[in-house]
Amino acid sequence: MFDLEKAIADWRRQMVKAGIKTPVPLEELESHLREEIERQTGSGLSEAEAFRAAVHKIGAAQGIQSEFRKVEAAKEDRQWQLAQIMLVAFTGLSPILCASAAFSKHGVASEMTPGQLISILAAATSLPLLAWGGRLSYRLFPVIQTKRAREAIHLTYLLPVIFWWIGFLRLILPRYDFTVGQLMVTLFWALFPTMGVCIGLLWGIEAAARKKVAMAGS
Amino acid sequence: MYSVSMIRKELVAASAEPLILSLLSRGESYGYAIIQEVKARSDGKLQWTDGMLYPVLHRMEHRGLIKARWGESETGRKRKYYSLKKDGKTAMARHQEQWSLVHSVLAGLRKEQYV
Repeated sequence: MFDLEKAIADWRRQMVKAGIKTPVPLEELESHLREEIERQTGSGLSEAEAFRAAVHKIGAAQGIQSEFRKVEAAKEDRQWQLAQIMLVAFTGLSPILCASAAFSKHGVASEMTPGQLISILAAATSLPLLAWGGRLSYRLFPVIQTKRAREAIHLTYLLPVIFWWIGFLRLILPRYDFTVGQLMVTLFWALFPTMGVCIGLLWGIEAAARKKVAMAGS
Repeated sequence: MYSVSMIRKELVAASAEPLILSLLSRGESYGYAIIQEVKARSDGKLQWTDGMLYPVLHRMEHRGLIKARWGESETGRKRKYYSLKKDGKTAMARHQEQWSLVHSVLAGLRKEQYV
């Protein structure tokens, strides 16, 4: 006895195995399958024959999935371009904003020696230089294709840096009695270069992987 | 007159988006109905692989040309209905311009052939 529901369930399992995601678009495809089966049985075929014909009409799961993959890739590509623009804006604007804050009317510039001012501006500039340097030298980075692996690698350097920041701000800094100028210099050099290195690494690794994918696809 | 044989894959792929946009411009519809209508209007010559329609629909949805909502058929089955968005209307107009252009150039050349 042909069990239609079981056959459809098996078909669903095959689709999922090929990578078709639930609920979208698997629900859509199943709904389509059922309508086609109905039409075929309406024309006189048995349930089993209708099922086979409908499955054949829908087509191979791999073909459908690779087409869906292309749509996903285009979507991800756009998100990546947007993220890059935001990174450029953030890394580029931070030193400018810091400088204007320091030199504003209520800023700390007045309480700092010229040497200290130059020092903090240099620290702030290290952020975009390190970040953009990482991005531009993506060819030097290893190509890590799977997203999960890249995420794990990003964590391995981001977590220690975050601990460093917390440790610095809560344990190291309070031990010292700094003037405003000394405090600014210490803060800037503790935070900005490390942030620059992190962003540079992240950006470079991501760019290396995505450029490779883009070249492979062309 | 030669009879129309298997239509080239590239032509089928290129015509998918303008066909879908034009069909949806007449009202919302769902995947299965779209395929049946294309088949009917082309006397069975344009037979899309059913499953391949859905990645195309998703790409068009992602690009903001069409929008989707889940509804129900008369028998209570869940169905995803698609409708045209404003950007879709502009895209459709652009497609129609380009197809008319290609068609008029080809038609002009054919006319010259028989002169």
